[in-house]
Amino acid sequence: MAKQKLFHIVKRDHLGFGYKLLVYVGAVLLALAVGAVLLAILGVDPIKYYSSMITIGLPKSKFPESNIESLIKIFVPLLMTSTALALAFKMKFWNIGGEGQFIAGTIAAGFVALKFGPEMDFGLCLVLMMLSAMICAGLLGVFVAFLKVKFNTNETLLTLMLNYVVLYVLKFFAETKADWNLFLSTTSQRPMFANLNMKMPTIQLGRFHLDISLIIAVVITVLIFIYMKYTKQGYEINVVGDSSATASYAGMKVGRIIIRTTFISAAIIGLAGACSVSTANIMSTSITNDVGWTGIIVAWLAKLNIWGVTVVSLLISVLQYGCQFAGSSFSQVDAHFADILQGIILFFVLAADFLVRFKIMFHKKGGND
Amino acid sequence: MKKLLSIVLAALMLVGCIATFASCSETPATGAPSDFKVGAIYITGKNDTAGYTFAHANGINKAVKALGLPEENLIVIDNIPEDTTQVTTAIDTLANQGCNIIFGISFGYIDAFDAAAKNEKYSDIIFSHATGYLSSLPGESAGYKAQFNNYFGRIYQARYLAGIAAGLKTLEVKNNNVGYVAAYGTQYAETCSGINGFTLGVLSVNPDAKVYVQEIGNWADETLEAQIAQNLIDTYDCCVIAQHCDSAQPQIVAAKNGAFGCGYNSDMSDKSATHLTAPIWNWEVYYTAAIKCAMETPDKFMDEIGIYYGGLKEGFIDISPLTDNCAENTKEIVEAVKKLMIDGEWDVFSGVELSYKVEDGKVEIIKTETPLLKNDGTPAGAVDDGVIKGSMAYFVKGVVEAK
Repeated sequence: MAKQKLFHIVKRDHLGFGYKLLVYVGAVLLALAVGAVLLAILGVDPIKYYSSMITIGLPKSKFPESNIESLIKIFVPLLMTSTALALAFKMKFWNIGGEGQFIAGTIAAGFVALKFGPEMDFGLCLVLMMLSAMICAGLLGVFVAFLKVKFNTNETLLTLMLNYVVLYVLKFFAETKADWNLFLSTTSQRPMFANLNMKMPTIQLGRFHLDISLIIAVVITVLIFIYMKYTKQGYEINVVGDSSATASYAGMKVGRIIIRTTFISAAIIGLAGACSVSTANIMSTSITNDVGWTGIIVAWLAKLNIWGVTVVSLLISVLQYGCQFAGSSFSQVDAHFADILQGIILFFVLAADFLVRFKIMFHKKGGND
Repeated sequence: MKKLLSIVLAALMLVGCIATFASCSETPATGAPSDFKVGAIYITGKNDTAGYTFAHANGINKAVKALGLPEENLIVIDNIPEDTTQVTTAIDTLANQGCNIIFGISFGYIDAFDAAAKNEKYSDIIFSHATGYLSSLPGESAGYKAQFNNYFGRIYQARYLAGIAAGLKTLEVKNNNVGYVAAYGTQYAETCSGINGFTLGVLSVNPDAKVYVQEIGNWADETLEAQIAQNLIDTYDCCVIAQHCDSAQPQIVAAKNGAFGCGYNSDMSDKSATHLTAPIWNWEVYYTAAIKCAMETPDKFMDEIGIYYGGLKEGFIDISPLTDNCAENTKEIVEAVKKLMIDGEWDVFSGVELSYKVEDGKVEIIKTETPLLKNDGTPAGAVDDGVIKGSMAYFVKGVVEAK
């Protein structure tokens, strides 16, 4: 008798939504359990840590409104970037260039604010900042998309490398004192970015200040949902993503669709950069807060579904802010624990993905299939 | 379905078990109960084992312990880059938890600290920012609601002393070339005044010496630090390697090549067998004074601590113990000059040059009025604290920019 394999893998037919949800929630819980083991090894009480992480410190806060404001500051750029990345990924265009496009947006917005801000109407300048950020970042995306369409270059590598090119351009501006460099403060002896004087307005609700960028982010998300679901262009993106050969047989201009979608995706990331720089009112070389990378995880965890992206962005924001908060009172854990947890969750959800799509059949001893 | 439920259940149980175990090992809080809370924001990890954040964390931990505050009253947020949004979030988080004083250790936090000190709701918090130049001193206090100071130290004094040790070594080994691995050059007054202070120290014992300064362009890049130290030894035949950068790499490279060295930040003699002495910071001196004042007389913080710029006198700045590698008479001269500075009789950039005569272990210091000269031979003019901290942007005579 031939030696039998212990198990084999079979594709599942269809799984109910409830079951799928249960698998994913289970995966996240398992990831948290692994995190708990790590915390326990470090001598930290996981229950205490997780409870202050999930409540983001609200219960004992002196100024609870600022906890929410801080959370929103993390959430807004992440939501916009992840939505934009999901759009490109839907087309199987692997835009790893979120970081670079985000920074390109902040450079453009910062330039407009510092060059034209002083003698321009505030509202007009803010709009101009956003538009220029979108165009600048969008063109960066188009550059890669064009090369892919024309010469079939690898967009993953190109966007990845461009992240560093753009980052170092920003660093060059940050460190070079010169007359032409309008990005730097004139009052500081050390090289330091200048104040933009273009602070994103807020709506005051009691003690709470609602940042306008949250509204912008929500509007963009809804628009992208409608775009994907109810427009012809959105449909084209789906077809190209499934099979670009099918798309060309159906008479779609695949190249044009790729370039157009990449432009939209990169432009939204640029807009996120403009919003961030305006909220901070100053540029910085770590302004992205790694959303270009985290956004990839979010888009993936959310299965490229726009509502999923919204929920996952919020959860990851709570995780990041909560971990910083929780970590502040435990000397053993530092802020990087959020990254570890994020990674563990991603791995478990990928494993859950596998379980949802396939099932493992164990062979009974001595039995035959 | 069943299998899945059991996995989820198992996961929950695991969490439960660990939580129970973890809470078992928890020890009850000891020390005097106090409501006073100290907040700190670090640029890298609070559990670092070397470098800039390590030096600060070490200082704050010592201060909190010395003042009898319970450990949990120190709230630290670490790995915060110089990004205003992220620093503001960190300040908010510390304020939310009721911190009475908040320290920020990196220069780029300046904007966020300035904004927080102007925020009405944080008016009873004291903000304290290392290496910055903004503060709520009377006269500059436009718009400030909270007390806001900055703190830094006269590290150039310790660098002068290290320069003496290096200079005497060059005489002993009969090689006039000294190397200096610098994070930055003239762009930052901090690095610039350090290079100049060190060079003046070297020249005071060996007027023919040259200090070859090579810039990294980065505060912490271990690879480049090592490469540049190697370049200074290979290209310029430097026999002593001094440094203004984070890691001990230049010292390790110096030891490997048989050159001597002056480290920085902490005693690096454990990293290099050829170490002479290192200019060091005793941050706990400031942190203890600041936290104590904030606890006892919080309303007088700006009067009593104000803009803190401590030096050898306060014990805030020092040099690590001289090793046996140092040349003859190093100890005697260094201690005599150190005493001059502690007594306030002389300072590095005062335009008075020192030279020394040693007989039977007794040091005679000869002072000569010599205006400070820039690298290009032009007079540097008067140098006050403002210049040293803020606007110094030239090298003194004796510095050579290495490539």
